[in-house]
Amino acid sequence: MTGPAPAVALRGVAKTYDPGAADAVRALRGIDLALPPGAVVSVEGPSGCGKTTLLNLLGLLDRPTSGEVVWDGSAVGSRPERERARLRLDRVGFIFQRFYLLPTLTARENVELPMRAAGVPSAERARRASGLLTEVGLAGRERAFPHQLSGGEEQRVAIARALANGPGLLLADEPTGELDSANTVQILDLLDRVRAERSATLVLVTHNPTVAARARRHLTMLDGAIVADRTEA
Amino acid sequence: MTAWERGRRLRHARWQLVLAVAAIGAAVALPVVLVSVGGGVAAHELSELENAGYQIVVSASGTHGISDAHRLAGEIRALGSVTAASPVLSIAVDAFVGSGGATPVLAEGVIPDQFAPTLGPTESGLFPSPLPLGDPTDAIHYANGSYTGPAVYDVLVSTPYAAAKGVGVGGVLALAPTANRSGAVAYNVTGTFGVPPSVLGPTGAFAILLPLSDLQVMTGYATGPNASVPDAADSVEVAVTGSAATDPSALNAVRSAIQSLVPYYGVSSLTQEAQQLGAASAVLTAFYLALSSVGVTIGLLFLALVLLRRVEAERRAIGIRRAIGLSRSSIAAPILRDGAVLAAAGAAAGLLGGYLLVAGLARWGSPTVAEAADLAVFSPELLGLLVAGIVLLSLLASGVATRAALRLEIPEALR
Repeated sequence: MTGPAPAVALRGVAKTYDPGAADAVRALRGIDLALPPGAVVSVEGPSGCGKTTLLNLLGLLDRPTSGEVVWDGSAVGSRPERERARLRLDRVGFIFQRFYLLPTLTARENVELPMRAAGVPSAERARRASGLLTEVGLAGRERAFPHQLSGGEEQRVAIARALANGPGLLLADEPTGELDSANTVQILDLLDRVRAERSATLVLVTHNPTVAARARRHLTMLDGAIVADRTEA
Repeated sequence: MTAWERGRRLRHARWQLVLAVAAIGAAVALPVVLVSVGGGVAAHELSELENAGYQIVVSASGTHGISDAHRLAGEIRALGSVTAASPVLSIAVDAFVGSGGATPVLAEGVIPDQFAPTLGPTESGLFPSPLPLGDPTDAIHYANGSYTGPAVYDVLVSTPYAAAKGVGVGGVLALAPTANRSGAVAYNVTGTFGVPPSVLGPTGAFAILLPLSDLQVMTGYATGPNASVPDAADSVEVAVTGSAATDPSALNAVRSAIQSLVPYYGVSSLTQEAQQLGAASAVLTAFYLALSSVGVTIGLLFLALVLLRRVEAERRAIGIRRAIGLSRSSIAAPILRDGAVLAAAGAAAGLLGGYLLVAGLARWGSPTVAEAADLAVFSPELLGLLVAGIVLLSLLASGVATRAALRLEIPEALR
């Protein structure tokens, strides 16, 4: 099951934390961006430049202070949380730097979690979770808890979980930030492969050149603004 | 997080859960004890009322406030459906056995053949039948209010008194209104009677029963210039028969007829008294529950704080679930479920604790407390309502934590 990759756009999106406060932080300043379906984009820049905020807004984890997040021509950024949650569940897969697996669930249960929320029947969930874990190279590790896995294995589980409902939009925030170089390459190869198989859009937030090199379009941010947008030939 | 840290967090969380359950348990135990013991005592008193042999009582304010008791009893007896009208005068007097000193006893003066029909099934078994008190109607000595007829000087003594003083049937007891032997009059002990168990009140174990006119003369409540209340009694207990014994409206008609005879006295039927007692018991139960609501509120506040702390401790896990797109209901359900389970566990612990406390009081409490605890009634309906109420209220406490979980900013929670 793979959902179609949405055409994602940000129109004049700004995000200010604690607006009105003396110490208000302007994380994004009027961003305009269009990502066609299937694009592979890296977002680079120094710490605090707004990369993660941009990713959160693209994936509907946060609301813009002004401007609009648009998917397939529809403004979705300001929809009620219930609808945004459903869109995240069905169409977005998140991969975080610190994996964010639920420590009380096994690897398979972590992968099954989005499917359970989507109402996938139990047998189908088990079948798909086993398939995904096999696909990311963790066959036989289904019953392991996160604390029993290495960092690389945890990130593989996180990728399998992100793919659980067949999302069209994969958002990865420093996906190899906690991994050594060998694991970094393996995880990037895995991401490349699963993205290509699903024709999904992939946005990689990173300041690691090795990671950024996997993208064809490179956005560079500084102080809440996109200062460079370069696409490789 | 190391295994040691995980273990410490787990132990800490367990302590919080235990404390939350204990707080709710303590809050529930209090109403369990109050309601079960209070309800039990009220039910016992109600049962005593329902088992009384008389159905109507005439009473007056003040000490021994009913005058012309013999004549009034006769007038009441003349009413339809009335089988007996028994004036009763209760006064403490002093009794002397042999050359011994004075012993205060509770004396009850009655008209023997009227007193017996007003006894309930339990009490009537405690007295000899017929009462061996000489003149059954107390008319000879009373002599139409002149008190010039011959007195019989018969007395019945309670079995505890008889045992304590070594006096029995055929013996002689000297009775006086004060602890002064020179004014005492000798009475023949013609029988003994048992003392019914009494709850939360004086037992009256040392008691005597004698003709009404004898006690009136002895204590100055007969007639004449020295009597403050001529032919005095404390109350007149009325037994009825026929439809009045079973039909509340017929009983009320008799009560009204008596009331019209003595509009200046209180006349109440036991049905009314039972209703009043029932109402008082309901008010007390409500009061106990209101009192207990303070403890319950504190317990639920504690539960809310524990759940809030859990939400805080699990904010990242909640953030992950919400980021994935889990519905609000699936985020809220485990918190509400945990709250309900903790509240139910606390309520169960409170029920058990309350029951054990009552059992402990019944076994090791002071005699009065033990008697009351022995009467405790654990009403499944009331206790079930209490538990259901606690579990429902726990939803409010869980709701606070649920609201906090649903209002978490996802990026903040994941930070």
